[in-house]
Amino acid sequence: MLKDFQRIGRDLFLAGLNSSHSGNLSVRYGDRIIITRRGSMLGHLGERDLIETGLASNDGNIILASTEIGVHRAIYQGTSALAVVHAHPVHAISLSLLEDEIIPIDSEGAYLLHKIPVLSAERTIGSAELEEKLPGLLQEFKIVMVRGHGSFAVGQMLEEAYQWTSSLENVCRIIYLTRTLKRDFADKRTEKYKEW
Amino acid sequence: MGLFGWTGQALRVNLSSGTITKESLAQKDLTDWIGGRGLGAWIVAREVPAGCDPLGKDNKLVFAPGPLTGTGVPGAGRFSASAKSPLTGTIFDSNAGGTWGVRLKRSGYDALIIEGEATAPVYLTIFDGRAELHEAGDVWHSDTLDTNKKLKDKFGGDISVSCIGPAGENLVKFASIMNDNSRALGRGGLGAVMGKKKLKAIAVRGSQKVAIANQEKLDFFIYEADKWIRANPITSQGLPEFGTPVLVNLFNELGVFPARNFQDSVFPGAGKISGEAIARTITTGRRGCYHCPVQCARLVKTRNGVFKGPEYESIWALGPECGIGDLETIVEANHMCNRLGLDTITTGVTIGCAMELQEKGLLDTGLKFGDAPGLLQAIKQIAYREDAGDLLAEGSRSLAGKCGASGYAMQVKGLELPAYDPRGLQGMGLGLATSNRGGCHLRAYMVGPEALGVPKMVDRFSTGGKAGLTITQQNISAAIDSLIVCRFINLAVTEEYFARILSAVTGVDYHPQDLHRTGERIWNLERLYNLRSGLDFSFDTLPPRLLEEPIREGPSSGRKVELAQMLTEYYRFRSWDEYGVPSAAKIKELGLEGFSC
Repeated sequence: MLKDFQRIGRDLFLAGLNSSHSGNLSVRYGDRIIITRRGSMLGHLGERDLIETGLASNDGNIILASTEIGVHRAIYQGTSALAVVHAHPVHAISLSLLEDEIIPIDSEGAYLLHKIPVLSAERTIGSAELEEKLPGLLQEFKIVMVRGHGSFAVGQMLEEAYQWTSSLENVCRIIYLTRTLKRDFADKRTEKYKEW
Repeated sequence: MGLFGWTGQALRVNLSSGTITKESLAQKDLTDWIGGRGLGAWIVAREVPAGCDPLGKDNKLVFAPGPLTGTGVPGAGRFSASAKSPLTGTIFDSNAGGTWGVRLKRSGYDALIIEGEATAPVYLTIFDGRAELHEAGDVWHSDTLDTNKKLKDKFGGDISVSCIGPAGENLVKFASIMNDNSRALGRGGLGAVMGKKKLKAIAVRGSQKVAIANQEKLDFFIYEADKWIRANPITSQGLPEFGTPVLVNLFNELGVFPARNFQDSVFPGAGKISGEAIARTITTGRRGCYHCPVQCARLVKTRNGVFKGPEYESIWALGPECGIGDLETIVEANHMCNRLGLDTITTGVTIGCAMELQEKGLLDTGLKFGDAPGLLQAIKQIAYREDAGDLLAEGSRSLAGKCGASGYAMQVKGLELPAYDPRGLQGMGLGLATSNRGGCHLRAYMVGPEALGVPKMVDRFSTGGKAGLTITQQNISAAIDSLIVCRFINLAVTEEYFARILSAVTGVDYHPQDLHRTGERIWNLERLYNLRSGLDFSFDTLPPRLLEEPIREGPSSGRKVELAQMLTEYYRFRSWDEYGVPSAAKIKELGLEGFSC
C-alpha cells in the first residue's frame, strides 16, 4: 500500500502535476479510507503520511487527515470509485479559469476523456459545496476540474486515477500550445464532445 | 484620537483600603504589549517585586482580555490572569475561555488589577463599568458551582462569575480560578493568590460594544479565516466531534502517553478513555466559548449526573498518570476538581507522585496506582488540606522533596508536566525545560510540528533544528496569548491572518513580524523577571527520569531527552549567554532596559 502511494505521489510531483506540498491521494478499503496526511509531500511519502480513518465516520486520526478528506469521502459514498487522486495541474487550472468545460482537441485526449467538466464553487478547499456537487459529476466523468483549484480523478486503483490526471494535463497543454500558435483555432471534429 | 479594539482603561482595586480607581493605559503600552498575557506581564513586572512572597500583600493579580476579545473573531473569547505564582515562584499567566473575559471587556476595561488583601472575605462586582466590593459571607466556603449559582441568583443570569473554591480559600498551591462553572484559569495556583487576598469572586456584566477601526476589512479577514477553520480537519471535525480527548489515541499510539508517574509511556486501556470512546458512550452535547465555531467542550452523562468535560489533559492526569482507566472515575474526579477549584493536571500528577513514593516505600499515604476511591478521597483532602492532603496541597516538588526523593516529582520549575512524554518528542522536551512558567506544553506547543503536522511535520526524535523551532513557537504563542485567541484556532489560522485582523480591529498597522517581535519581547521580559526572582539557568531542566531513563516499551522505546545540546543552541539563538541571561544588546533591542538583572 505505502509503495503504491509513494510511486504515484512521486510521479505526480515529478510530472509537475503538484507543487511540493499540494494534492492528495486516497484509496477506499471497505468502510475505511486511507488518505495522505494533511500537508504531506506527495513526492516523499513515508509511513506516517498515510492516515487511516472511517469512510462514513470519524475517529481520532481525522485530525491528521488531508484537508480534502470530506470530498474524498463524498466521492466514495457517491460513486463506485476505489481510489481518488487530487492534483493541481497548472495548464488545466489555467484553462479552467476560462472555460466552463474542457474539450480535448487531441486524439488521445478525446479518446480517453471526451470532455472534462469545470465546476465552480465559492469555497474550493475542504469545501462542503464540492462534497455535494463532485460525486454526481464523477459518476459520469473520470475526472473533473474545480475552477482555479485542481482536478479530482477517480479509478479502481491509484494508477488509474493518476492516468486521467496525467491525460488531462496533456490535453490542456495541447490546447494551450495550439491556441498560442493560432489564437482562433477551432476544430470541428471536437464539437461533438460538447454533447458528451 | 479614540482607541479601537482597546478601551484604554484599567480598573485598580485595592483590597487593603477598599479603594477602587479607574486609570488610563498608555497607548504605547497597549500597542507594544497588546493585551492578555503581554499586558499582564508588563504590569506584573513593573508592579510586583520579583523577590516578593507570592502569597504576600505585594503580589498582584491582573486580569486582562485582549483587543480581539468580544469582536466576533473566532476563538477570541478568552482572557488571562497574571501574577507571581505560589507554585513556581515565576511570573505566571493562565488563560481561559467562556464568557467572563468578553463581559469584562464590554464593561469597559482592558485590565483589572487586584492588589492588597482584604481583612474579611469579599467579592467584586463590575457591572457596565461600575465596580463595588461586597462582603462574601454568603458565598465563602461555597464551591465554585454554588458560588456561581448564588451570585447569578442575586444579580441575574446575564453576568459571568470568576471565583475560587475551597482549594483557593485554603491556599492550595495549585488552586484554580473557575469561570462559567467549568472554564479554568487552571495552572500555577492563581486561585491561591485570590484566596490569600480573601477575594472569593468577581462578577461582571458588560454591554458596551467594542469599537472596531475597519469593520469591512475585519469581516473579510474573518471570512477568510473561517475558510481555514472549516477546511482543517482538526478544527472542523476532530475537535468538534471528539473534543480535546481526540488526542488520547494519537499520543498513545506514538508511545508518548505517560502513565504511572511517567514510569510507562503507553497506557493499555487508552482506548476506553479516548475521545472516540467518550463520544460513543457518555457524550450528550457540545459547548463552546463565545463566538467559537469549533465547540470543543463536551457535556457527558454518567451514573452520577451530567457534567462538563473532561479535557485531554485532565483525562490523562486523573487517569493513566494515576494508573486509572475507569472513565466514570475520571469524569467524577474532574468534576470534583472543578467544584473545589483545583488544577486537574497538578492534582493528578501530584497524586501520581504520591502513588509512586508509596510504591517505593518513601511515603505512607495509602495511595496506590489504580486506586480510584483513593484518588477521589485525595482530591477532597487536598482541597481542604485534610490529613495527607495538606502535604500534597504544596505540589509534587514539595512533596517529593520532603520525602528526600525530588527526582520523582514530574515537574519543571515546580509546575507539573502535561500529558506528553517528551522522551519521544524532543522539541517538546526543550519547550518544557525552557518554559517561563514551568512544565507547560502550551508555551511552545511543539505538539503542532512534532505530532499534528502544524505548520509542518518534523522528525519528533531528532534534536536538529529544534532550538530555533521552539523559539519561534514560544514567541508566536506569547503573541497569540496576548490577542487573546484560542490555541486551537491557531492550528488552522496562522499569525499572518491574525496580524491583519489585529490591524483591522485596532487601526494600528501590525505585520506578522510584529507579532513575532512582540512575542519575543514578552518572552524576554518574563525571563528577566524570573532571573530576578532567583530562577537561574539551573531551572531550565527536566526531571532526571526523562533525561536518564529511556522509555521502556512501545513506538518510542529507547528514547530519552537529549536536552544539553538543544539547550546550548537555544541560548545562543535567543542571544542569551551561557547562563541563560539575555545579552545587553538583546535587552536594548527589545526596549527592556529597565528590567535587566
